Amino acid sequence: MILEFERPVKELEARIADLHRLAGPSAELQGEISRLEDALESAKRRIYSNLSPYQRVQVARHPDRPNFRAYRDALADDFYELSGDRAHGEDPAVRGGFARLSRSGHNVMLIGHDKGADVKSRVKGNFGMAHPEGYRKVRRLYELAGRFGMPIVTLVDTPGAFAGRQAEERGQAWAISEDLMALARSPVPVICMVIGEGGSGGALAMCAGDYVGMLENSYLSVIAPEACASIIFRDPGRAAEAAAAMKITARDLKEQKIVDEVLPEPLGGAHNEPDAAIEAVGETLGLVLSELSDVDPQTLMKTRYERYRRIGAHAAAGQDPALS
Amino acid sequence: MHRRREYSRSVPETESGLGPMDSVFTKCEKCGQPVYEKDLRARFNVCPHCEFHYPLSAPERVRLLLDAGSFEERDRGLVAADLLGFEGYAEKVEAARKKTGLDDAVLSGAGEIGGRRVAFAAMDFRFIGGSMGSVVGERVARAIEMAYADGLPLVIVSASGGARMFEGVYSLMQMAKTSVALSRYMEGSWPYVSVLTDPTFGGVTASFATAADVVIAEPGARIGFAGARVIEGTTKERLPEGFQTAEFQREHGMADRIVHRLALKGDLERLLGFVA
Repeated sequence: MILEFERPVKELEARIADLHRLAGPSAELQGEISRLEDALESAKRRIYSNLSPYQRVQVARHPDRPNFRAYRDALADDFYELSGDRAHGEDPAVRGGFARLSRSGHNVMLIGHDKGADVKSRVKGNFGMAHPEGYRKVRRLYELAGRFGMPIVTLVDTPGAFAGRQAEERGQAWAISEDLMALARSPVPVICMVIGEGGSGGALAMCAGDYVGMLENSYLSVIAPEACASIIFRDPGRAAEAAAAMKITARDLKEQKIVDEVLPEPLGGAHNEPDAAIEAVGETLGLVLSELSDVDPQTLMKTRYERYRRIGAHAAAGQDPALS
Repeated sequence: MHRRREYSRSVPETESGLGPMDSVFTKCEKCGQPVYEKDLRARFNVCPHCEFHYPLSAPERVRLLLDAGSFEERDRGLVAADLLGFEGYAEKVEAARKKTGLDDAVLSGAGEIGGRRVAFAAMDFRFIGGSMGSVVGERVARAIEMAYADGLPLVIVSASGGARMFEGVYSLMQMAKTSVALSRYMEGSWPYVSVLTDPTFGGVTASFATAADVVIAEPGARIGFAGARVIEGTTKERLPEGFQTAEFQREHGMADRIVHRLALKGDLERLLGFVA
């Protein structure tokens, strides 16, 4: 899939490929080729370093963007998957289990939304939109990790929790609030990486932790820009404006001190060079894990309390009550 | 994120005595029977003919549930700061403040229910759809912290369309904020009672409103995560009659009790008698 704003880049790439084919082993067209390569490089730089918030949303949704599976396969040398919420069923929209990170050797509870790799698995995983049983499995794994003193690592990539009849019948809201409560009292480090879409409560249920990193082109939002536009501007066509107004990009959230770090992506976005993006996430994970592994549970929970307790955009009339 | 038409019929905000609407005579929007506003007000916005529960403002909720004169409001003066400069938001807040006389979509403080001191918060749907922004999150969190510090039972009455998207991710993060406060409170053995009223949706149901020891809902209240229109829009599914009502939620195991508004104070007194 080619995004609209990527078209000039893709066209230049196609022309360069054509010339290479025509030129064959001869050096005749070399001048023209390198001229186009320069143009390509500067077009990439121009386009990708000035992406609008909504263009980043499109990059975050790109079907070729590395997703949970790619990270899992590249970063863990063993992934021991666990399934089911022990009450209703197994939800493949979100996956989790014990993982040994190959780079740093840490054992972690690795949990992520699974958008799938092809049409079949995308449909099976409901495009990363979990049902309540998915969020209840997540809570189960949070608690398991706590019992074994194993850090929790989440990879967030969801358009949102699924909005459907059955999801409501089984208490979608209840399941998400249980996850938030479980994260708040977890005695182990909770490390969250937003690798793609961070849609609303369904994302927050997996990214209220001690460290939250965001890939440069990922986003985190209270509502999809399209839905915001249709509610506030009464025009879903104004999604780009809504995306800008809600300040949902990684850089915006770093500025708002809601996330800790923006992880740079390869030029053009993670889908152009998946290995580099995955490597960057793996490296950061190793560093953060080493940093947080020795922090005692009381300090972790207290710091997490203060971290979320202070976030807000309000004019204070009094002082915050003392934290115990 | 759930939107609905606000009922034209809302209770006048006078402390006592006659309101300007008292002599007004209208039809119940539900059953079509004629009702005096004055009668409706005396019954806290419950239709005397069909018992339909209209939304109730936060000040009226205080009058309904707390012992007369016992309410001490806390954290008054906390107002939304439009950090994102979202088009039209500041004006919206201003208009809502004028309309309701409230600082934001919640009233919070301490009071007594049947002589028992409680930490109390009630949301107000008239204030930008009861949406949860930073002020709601902050005041709810402070009410929880007060309950924790003073060892009080906690009663929160919700009415909310969901998160306040004008505040962007700050509004989303209020879910995390109220959850950390609540999680700590619930390590203790004081009870948290959540009362869900029409409508309660989105970020409020997906955080503090459902994470309670006891969940009580008012008859007919619409309660859920995503609104029915959103679900119909995404799944093209026809939703059954009574979908997401309080009765539906109780049937699906999500609420403990359905309690008529006029019996709610007595019900809370009974409950607190067991656990407070």
